[in-house]
Amino acid sequence: MMNLSTFFQHLTNGISLGSLYALVAIGYTMVYGTLRLINFAHGDVFMMTTYFAFYGVATFMLPWYVSFILAIILTAALGMLLEIGAYRPLRDAPKISIMISAIGASFLLENLAVVLFGGRPKAFPSVKLLTDSIQWGTVSIQKLTFVIPIVTIIFLVGLLYLINHTKTGMAMRAVAKDYETAGIMGVNVNKTISQTFAIGSMLAAVGGIMWGLKFPQIAPLMGVMPGLKAFIAAVIGGIGNIKGAVIGGFILGIGEIMIVAFLPSLSGYRDAFAFIFLIVILLFKPTGITGEKIAEKV
Amino acid sequence: MNLLKVENVSMIFGGLTAVKEFNLDLNQGEIVALIGPNGAGKTTAFNMITGVYRPTIGRISYKGNDITGQRPDQITKQGIARTFQNIRLFKDLTVLDNVLIANHLHLKSNFLEATFKLPRYRREEKRILEKSLSLLEKVGLVDAQNEKSSSLPYGKQRRLEIARALATNPEILLLDEPAAGMNPKETDDLTEFIRQIRDEFHLSIFMIEHHMQVVMGISDRICVFDHGVTIAEGNPYEIQNNQKVIEAYLGVAEDYA
Amino acid sequence: MKQKKTLLTVISIVVLFLGVYLADQNLDSYKMRILNLCAIYVVLGLSMNLINGFTGLFSLGHAGFMAVGAYTTAILTMPDVVKGQNFFMVPMMKPLDTMHVPFFLALLIGGIFAGIVGYLIGAPALRLRGDYLAIATLGFAEIIRVVFTNIQSVTNGALGLKGIPESSNIWWTVGVATVTVLFIGSLINSSYGRAFKAIREDEIAAESMGISLFKHKVLAFTIGAFFAGVGGGLLGSLMGTIDPLMFRFFLTFNILLIIILGGMGSITGTIISAFIITIGGEALRFLDESMTIGNLVIPGISGLRMVVFSALLMIVVLFFNRGIMGTNEFTWDRLFAKFGKKPLAKGGSKQ
Repeated sequence: MMNLSTFFQHLTNGISLGSLYALVAIGYTMVYGTLRLINFAHGDVFMMTTYFAFYGVATFMLPWYVSFILAIILTAALGMLLEIGAYRPLRDAPKISIMISAIGASFLLENLAVVLFGGRPKAFPSVKLLTDSIQWGTVSIQKLTFVIPIVTIIFLVGLLYLINHTKTGMAMRAVAKDYETAGIMGVNVNKTISQTFAIGSMLAAVGGIMWGLKFPQIAPLMGVMPGLKAFIAAVIGGIGNIKGAVIGGFILGIGEIMIVAFLPSLSGYRDAFAFIFLIVILLFKPTGITGEKIAEKV
Repeated sequence: MNLLKVENVSMIFGGLTAVKEFNLDLNQGEIVALIGPNGAGKTTAFNMITGVYRPTIGRISYKGNDITGQRPDQITKQGIARTFQNIRLFKDLTVLDNVLIANHLHLKSNFLEATFKLPRYRREEKRILEKSLSLLEKVGLVDAQNEKSSSLPYGKQRRLEIARALATNPEILLLDEPAAGMNPKETDDLTEFIRQIRDEFHLSIFMIEHHMQVVMGISDRICVFDHGVTIAEGNPYEIQNNQKVIEAYLGVAEDYA
Repeated sequence: MKQKKTLLTVISIVVLFLGVYLADQNLDSYKMRILNLCAIYVVLGLSMNLINGFTGLFSLGHAGFMAVGAYTTAILTMPDVVKGQNFFMVPMMKPLDTMHVPFFLALLIGGIFAGIVGYLIGAPALRLRGDYLAIATLGFAEIIRVVFTNIQSVTNGALGLKGIPESSNIWWTVGVATVTVLFIGSLINSSYGRAFKAIREDEIAAESMGISLFKHKVLAFTIGAFFAGVGGGLLGSLMGTIDPLMFRFFLTFNILLIIILGGMGSITGTIISAFIITIGGEALRFLDESMTIGNLVIPGISGLRMVVFSALLMIVVLFFNRGIMGTNEFTWDRLFAKFGKKPLAKGGSKQ
């Protein structure tokens, strides 16, 4: 039987995992909203951040906060580069071509990481200020468990403000609705799509750094599973919908932790849950829990 | 004899009523035209009859059987074929392949018989090929049989689409703006062609058309749509003198003449 | 004319097997292994091309079907003693522990199981389109892998299976590849193949021509899964060992690369490209290993080979998106046309 404090511990764990999924999911959902493209390489962008941060601290001896900020900036640049190199030339090509390019980009990043950083896992720098535990009666909880959701909420509020109340945000919404028309109306489509990638990648970077702090072992393939799960979170929330992505992230994070906690005999199937969830959603509510239907014109 | 009966059919998208209480009786051998300004819901009516959309309310029956909400392929199998407003040929495939494909629905052999080229399949394939070539002959495309369908000139693509629809052995043919983009000469030919295939294949034709020349020339009856509502129905003479129709077209009449 | 072409096809197959015989006599085991892999990748590439290239369904579930075929074949051919040695953690489920059948039958059953799994996945998933279908099939493949990792009494879990009888040899692999080429080629040139292509070109038009989308998509998917299972069975028996990690998305990526490079919707392209990618992959192995030139030792960089492959995929998609062959095929007609013989009568069937 599970007592309340263990339950609480699982819940906070689920919330912080969910926050990380949510941060990465926003990038998927923003890109899908604009280009109708599953950015397969997004999880690998997330992985690259952790290496940027690692080298900043380990090789260049930068203070952790400087290194983290630099890593976030570099990741944003990487995201923009990815769009310019792999997706922009195919914008009017069949959807399948762009998707194949995305898969190619994903493998390219993973293997470049193997070549540049080595295949063996590295230890992510630990930041005492954030990773310490606090004692709460008999319960000990890592500060990070609270830091992660708080940071997520701060970035989410910032993002929503940007999208709903600034000119850049308006351009993004216009491009997401219909980039051709937006272009005719004078929106700089290329710039706006670049910005979308930059913002999505920055959020993934924030997620990546916190992921590194929480699970301090980084490897070239570490982005694959979180990436896929974040994508699933985006689908659950209704792809193209930012709030939906966050809700999906929390549902997936909490659900995953709880199922493993309550049904430990099924823990081997942990990675399958997300996919089963995805397939069920796709089959019964393909537009996600918040999405609306898009009909094809005949 | 009545073939197709559409009763009080409406289509509502979200809050928008695209077609409201549409009624139609199509009898054996008739040519009925559906006209109306752009966005009047004509193609939506087509899409409901052919199963692309399921009507929100109402009933569609073919030879007395309810076909409301059946899938397009099921409806085509029973004998209702169509063409598309914006030409939907299988672009990368040859002219002949386009017509051959439309015979597939009546194929009895299973995929193993087809793969191993067993006798029944060989017989069927031979018959399909002969039938398709004779159809192409009739629409004057037999010389272009090995060309990519997308390489045909526009008018011929329209004819190919009709030939393809005919290959499904329909009793009713739905033509969505067959004369769109054609010059006067081509339009004349088309009018004659439609009449000809109606007689030769014993078809009943329901068509959407803007060219008044075509519509007035061959229709037995005309249905007029405006904003999803049937505002008039009757023979060409009645429609030409109907006040409501004149109003609906007022100001845009030249574009369609 | 038709008989003449059939004769030519038969002669080419005889020549092919003569070549196989010569290769078998003269080449060392390393080169034979590469040839075996080429033939297996022809089977796998064609099975994926049927689904993705000819029917236009963007499926990424191939590794899952291969896993089903590979495990079935392995379990049905491994001797009891080897099974006992493998399953030291959890004993193998009865009656699997004493069950075996001849290799050919095992391959066939592996293919059939993969086909059944394909059908069970396809029936619900094929209602989805485009990228949603891609991600759902990817999800199913991952689920298969996770399940195989967990049903220890059947698959030996993460430990995998070792000592699978290495029954596949060049005769088997080239034989199966030939059968696959002939089968899929003949299917594609039949009325069913035309229906598949119609679905690829325009689903709405195809459905309006009376083609049941569901029936034909599931058919293509199931046949593709069958051949993927057979290919997986051959691969497992060539390798001698399999484990769930082998069947990650990476494997699907390799096959995808083959059909993209060869041309989505071309059998000829897939065959050519399966050889290029497999042999190229081996030729590029030096990138990963250290090299000695004179006194100079250049350390290899592990992973560089895959960088080249990923970049290759992107270059093909970005700059030559029709691949080597596009949707064209090698046919005797084309060959005659090329060498100036008189063209064949119009309306003659291909092949």
